[in-house]
Amino acid sequence: MKVLLKLTDISVYAGDTCLLEPISLTLKQNVPLTILGQTGSGKSLLAQAIMGLLPNGLTSTGTIELFGKEMTLKERQSLWGSKLVMLPQEPWNALDPLMKGVEQVKEVYQYVQNKTPQESLRLSMDDLRNVGLSGSEYKRPDQLSGGMAQRLAISAATAGGANFILADEPTKGLDVSRRDDVVRLLQSRSAAGGLLTITHDVAIARQLGGDLMVMKAGCLVEQGVAEQILRNPQADYTQALIEAEPKTWIDAEPVSKESHDEILIVNQLSLKRGGRILFEGLSFTIRKGEVVGVVGDSGCGKSSLGDALLNLLPFTNGTISRLNHEAKPHQWLKLYQDPPSAFSASVSLGQLLNDLVRLHRIDVQRIQPLMRRLKLPKGILERNCLEVSGGELQRFAILRSLLLDPVFLFADEPTSRLDPITAKEVTELLVELANETGCAVLLVSHDPDLIRKTCDQVISL
Amino acid sequence: MSLDRSSRGGGIMKMTLSQKIGLVILLILLVFAFGGTWVSPYSLSQQDLNAILQPPSTRHWLGTDQFGRSMLTRMSEAVMLSFSLGLICVITSAIIGVTLGVWAAWGETVDSIMGVLVNILLALPGLVIVLMLAAIAPGSFLVLYLAISLVQWVEYFRVVRAITKNVIHSPARQSTKMMGFGVWYQFKRHIWPSIAPSIFTLAAFGGANAILTMASLGFVYVGIQPPLAELGLMTVELFPYYSEAPWVLAQPLLAIALMVFGFHLLAGKRT
Repeated sequence: MKVLLKLTDISVYAGDTCLLEPISLTLKQNVPLTILGQTGSGKSLLAQAIMGLLPNGLTSTGTIELFGKEMTLKERQSLWGSKLVMLPQEPWNALDPLMKGVEQVKEVYQYVQNKTPQESLRLSMDDLRNVGLSGSEYKRPDQLSGGMAQRLAISAATAGGANFILADEPTKGLDVSRRDDVVRLLQSRSAAGGLLTITHDVAIARQLGGDLMVMKAGCLVEQGVAEQILRNPQADYTQALIEAEPKTWIDAEPVSKESHDEILIVNQLSLKRGGRILFEGLSFTIRKGEVVGVVGDSGCGKSSLGDALLNLLPFTNGTISRLNHEAKPHQWLKLYQDPPSAFSASVSLGQLLNDLVRLHRIDVQRIQPLMRRLKLPKGILERNCLEVSGGELQRFAILRSLLLDPVFLFADEPTSRLDPITAKEVTELLVELANETGCAVLLVSHDPDLIRKTCDQVISL
Repeated sequence: MSLDRSSRGGGIMKMTLSQKIGLVILLILLVFAFGGTWVSPYSLSQQDLNAILQPPSTRHWLGTDQFGRSMLTRMSEAVMLSFSLGLICVITSAIIGVTLGVWAAWGETVDSIMGVLVNILLALPGLVIVLMLAAIAPGSFLVLYLAISLVQWVEYFRVVRAITKNVIHSPARQSTKMMGFGVWYQFKRHIWPSIAPSIFTLAAFGGANAILTMASLGFVYVGIQPPLAELGLMTVELFPYYSEAPWVLAQPLLAIALMVFGFHLLAGKRT
């Protein structure tokens, strides 16, 4: 088998600090290689080093052999598009928001492959049809769903003729069902070529097969054949990553049935957005301390349901009755999907906490034990929301909510932007705290496994 | 609009080199404006017809104009006048623009009313509005100030409204509101930090624009009237003597150029 890529002692430095420990690997034709690890483990740096796309200030050492020939940075850059291509992490950032889908693919044929406009248009129409985008050729990226946009981005990226693909978190932010499509597309596009995928999702590694490398904090933990490693992991870290998959979690114990304190009754609720009916005639009851899961594909109205329950969105029909009349409005709270966007970056987290303590005259004594419980380091209070990790920030958001003694917490995909291991911790914590404090939690997720394992009641939309 | 508040906890230390240079230029001009009136023994309109269009000397540091008046006194008075106008115009238009902008972004009805008003104002060229108002009462500093502020607040309004709309719909503001925080707190923590850098930039450009507008009006004789000293007016008055006394004509021109340059450097560039 032909060796497509060979790295020898590649490492990445920022000044004198080593961000990526020396790593060597070989990628053979038709055997996909997957690099698995949490965010911040240096996976993306490796891909950037191979492409020659490292940000200014970062330097790499070691040798890179492509197609059996050692190449300098300049030589690698000349292969962009025609031989070597890197897929964007989030399609929104890679596509032109104002350009029709087919035009974006056509441009590549026209300017990278130097084909005539007619020929390019025909080829790009074929491409889009092949990835299941027929009928959406003339839509702008914002009119496409996440999965469709990613398929468009992949079509545009590979139209240059490259069959050696570097995919950096290709399925970030996609639903489970869409994820499989994208993986299949990647496999077909790299047939007779090479595929290097970087991901934190064990399921993708399993699906792609081939070779697997597990990385942690810039170091290689384990490598070998994907199937073997995933079935029989040697390193503790690999073990932890596999266990963080919702599929393998232990089932939640249902809330003790004596609890009959109903706090919210929803009757025949209908919701419309932008002229489209999201759901109709939805009825359910939420009890104290109960964890209610909501599942469904993106765009089905999961988040809108939660917002409607919190009076953040108007609903078309039906009733929502809050039965707990002692609770104040600020005890009905929400946890957001993207933690950094839910905080003001203008002041430190400690200042934000102080503001809350002063507003509601909260007992300061309660903060320390809660911080220990949520495993929040003290130093976090001096930093602002952009200087801490997503997991820490989401736990801080939980801390802030708990200080207000919530009766109902709407958690809108609280872990979808977090690493699997962190996501597991946060979810478990949320469920535990719901049981302890008697706060009802409405947990929205696109992952049916996660919901099934953690919730007492499931609403499928 | 003090510096340290606008550049998000940065202050002078966080300014770029060109911003610092701009600040230094403006400070030097300010010192000149204060120092000139303090040092010079001559009054603004004290004439000496025996010594007209004199070159700089120990008696008259910056020379004299066509009536033998001290250029040092007149220049420092003129620079002072320009600075005062620039400053109060910026403060007034920023306060009006920010208040209305935030209000419009928050409330639907206000937004549509303001939208109509702003579109009408924007349809007319700014300088023409100022010219019209200034022509009604020539020489009035007050009318000049009101006219320039009337034109300038629109910019603040539009920028602030656009940014505030985004902030108001952000999860961060929504979550703050749900936790029971009031309107003022939401402004302080969410809206102000995101609009402050833009306001500072607009203010610096606005200061330069106000000064240029006043000089333009002076130049066409509808601004400040003689015998007061104003940079545009001085330029046009000294214009006939450009070959006899170029150094005198150069002074107001240089002052205008330096002020505008200083403000533009101070505004900095967006990264």
